[in-house]
Amino acid sequence: MVELINEKGLRIDGRGVDELRPLRIEVGVLKNADGSSYIEMGKNKIVAAVYGPKEVHPKHLALPDRSVLRCRYHMAPFSVDVRKPPQPSRREIEISKVIREALEPALILEEYPRTAINIYLEVLQADGGSRCAGITASAVALADAGISMRDMVVACAAGKISGQVVIDLDDTEDKEGDADLPIAIMPNLNQVTLFQLDGIMAPEEFEKAFNMAVSACHQIYEVQREALIDKYFGKGEAGEE
Amino acid sequence: MSAVKRSMVVERLRKDQMVELLSKEKRLDNRGLLDLRNIVIETGVIERASGSAKVQVGNTQVIAGVKIETGEPFPDTPDKGLLVVNAEVLPLASAYAEPGPPDEDAIELARVVDRGVRESKMIDLSKLILIPGRKVHAVFVDVNVLNVDGNLFDATSYATVASIATAKMPKLFVDQNGQIKRTEEIIPLPIKSIPVSVTLARIGDVLLVDPTSEEEAVMDARITLVFDEEDNVCAGQKGQPGTLNFDQVKLAANIAKVKAREVRKIILGGITKDAKG
Amino acid sequence: MSEVKRKYVTPGELIATGNYKPISNVIKVKDNFYAIKIGLAEISHEGIRVIPLSGPYIPKVDDLVIGKIVDYSAFSWEVDINSCFFAYLPAQSVFGRNFSPDRESLPERFSIGDLIYAKVVTYDRTRNPILSISGHGLGQIPKGEMVKIGPAKVPRLIGKKGSMIKTIESATNCRLIIGQNGIILIVGPPDGVLLATQAIRMVESEAHLASLVKDIQSLLSGSREV
Repeated sequence: MVELINEKGLRIDGRGVDELRPLRIEVGVLKNADGSSYIEMGKNKIVAAVYGPKEVHPKHLALPDRSVLRCRYHMAPFSVDVRKPPQPSRREIEISKVIREALEPALILEEYPRTAINIYLEVLQADGGSRCAGITASAVALADAGISMRDMVVACAAGKISGQVVIDLDDTEDKEGDADLPIAIMPNLNQVTLFQLDGIMAPEEFEKAFNMAVSACHQIYEVQREALIDKYFGKGEAGEE
Repeated sequence: MSAVKRSMVVERLRKDQMVELLSKEKRLDNRGLLDLRNIVIETGVIERASGSAKVQVGNTQVIAGVKIETGEPFPDTPDKGLLVVNAEVLPLASAYAEPGPPDEDAIELARVVDRGVRESKMIDLSKLILIPGRKVHAVFVDVNVLNVDGNLFDATSYATVASIATAKMPKLFVDQNGQIKRTEEIIPLPIKSIPVSVTLARIGDVLLVDPTSEEEAVMDARITLVFDEEDNVCAGQKGQPGTLNFDQVKLAANIAKVKAREVRKIILGGITKDAKG
Repeated sequence: MSEVKRKYVTPGELIATGNYKPISNVIKVKDNFYAIKIGLAEISHEGIRVIPLSGPYIPKVDDLVIGKIVDYSAFSWEVDINSCFFAYLPAQSVFGRNFSPDRESLPERFSIGDLIYAKVVTYDRTRNPILSISGHGLGQIPKGEMVKIGPAKVPRLIGKKGSMIKTIESATNCRLIIGQNGIILIVGPPDGVLLATQAIRMVESEAHLASLVKDIQSLLSGSREV
């Protein structure tokens, strides 16, 4: 068994149990997309783009009273240690679905009937927690596209490694650890939009992990907000006159 | 916010403007006919890849990653390593790109880029043999187009070349039992040449380099030429239904040769920056 | 003038709590008002609204838009109006009530790639927008410099009662044709077109700033370099 936490309580990369990996978000990185963002979270490097709302083709897929949200999470062949064939795997298809369902509650899709909103996520480099980073990046790209949103969506995992509850697991911790609990929340409306659990935890550990993941999400939300404010407002005083 | 359409429609007044400017040897983005857009090449951007490069040509953005694995050689080339170049125009790259397997345009793109690398003998494939006829190194280059604004051929080629040139792998050896083992030593690929691709478009009677999406949407024909460091031409492809006359082909080759020298400096700059960092 | 409080907001952000009237781009949960777009929140005695800084163009009846002909059938043109939907321009509204597909050829009037200045005559949640070009100044736009801005920023470019357009037009000797859908055509002398383009770009990048009007004035009077 790999030693994931040393005697000083530090993890392999030197982080404490409740410490996030380095996180950076950029807004508006792709010229052609209606909204876009780029996120680095640990070694994750992910580009998110939003196209739409726009007319649905083929037309029978359109809904009369709301927009259809579509999501494609895809990993570049060079994003992982062993080359991944470009065609989508079962894992990528499931992750695309849970990401879509994590974002959908935040979107006011009724504002755009008969249209589709497409979210494309390209994982240029994968680390643990790429679905969480993908969700966080998607929400920023949706805000950049100016789609009406009830709230932002922000995601982070907690988990259990070497018998201790930690947040934001990297690739090694994810693979060697005991449990992984990725969640996504709407940070102002206090709702959970993604919940997955993979591994064993005692009830009290589970509750602790959940609370730590929520508070990590709030930290990440601040980074999302700053990235958007920086892109849209830079400096200067607000006004209309 | 453009809705889904199979291809881009350029506004007629933009097209008229373009044609009028071209008659004065000018372009919509203020470039001269033979001016390239700004080219930015960053290498070593993906730590998990053996080599990688992100390239911007104006607003066109591509990223390439190299993975080096072991495999069996092709039966007709038992004494050569494998090279596979694959390109995808991701659906996030433009409103006109669709998810799904590469279409004929993406396959043409990958094959033309592959040809430039292969025919220039950029990688000495004969040095990639582990067990003759049975085990060789296989070099996979995957290129993802992130944002489309014309001239994907050159952008994809520059990213491919820069990622291969900066790729590193652990040195392997075959032990007495015929097993492949890795050593601690990290080595580059056996690089013999740096091919440089230059693409021109013909719009009416005018030839111009490095076309944008808007220019490509109205161009009659496209021609790509690839050069090695001795100005030898080593790969080429004419595209689109339009034609080029004999003089235009020769003129295009001459222009491309000169522009290739200019781009070569930029590629070499991008490659050496990685080596130092 | 009554007190107006302003602040920058992102989606989901709490703007205020209390007894207000929601005006636009806000949702109310109990007594809390949250922004649904990135933009500038305004809290006044009239209520709470968010002036968005991004977002798609949603057509409204009577809007004037600049559209691009992208296709045609025997009875109508399909027009890209930079929105979620393609719009239709019925042949009847161009050729008149007696239009007959046997007699009149649509592409002879407008062909693919042509730009038109048109009015949205019908649009609701169930149908694509229908355009008309009957009206003063409507119809094909034969020439001009095209500039695109975020549709959410068009009101800023127009200004209070058209003040911003007038300022730019008179300083540059150009005429601006403004589509509510974020497409603008500038017609005039080359120097003027260049300056007007710079001014429009400034409106786009400084739409949220209180100093916009002053900055535009100094740009146009030549006292500020871009």
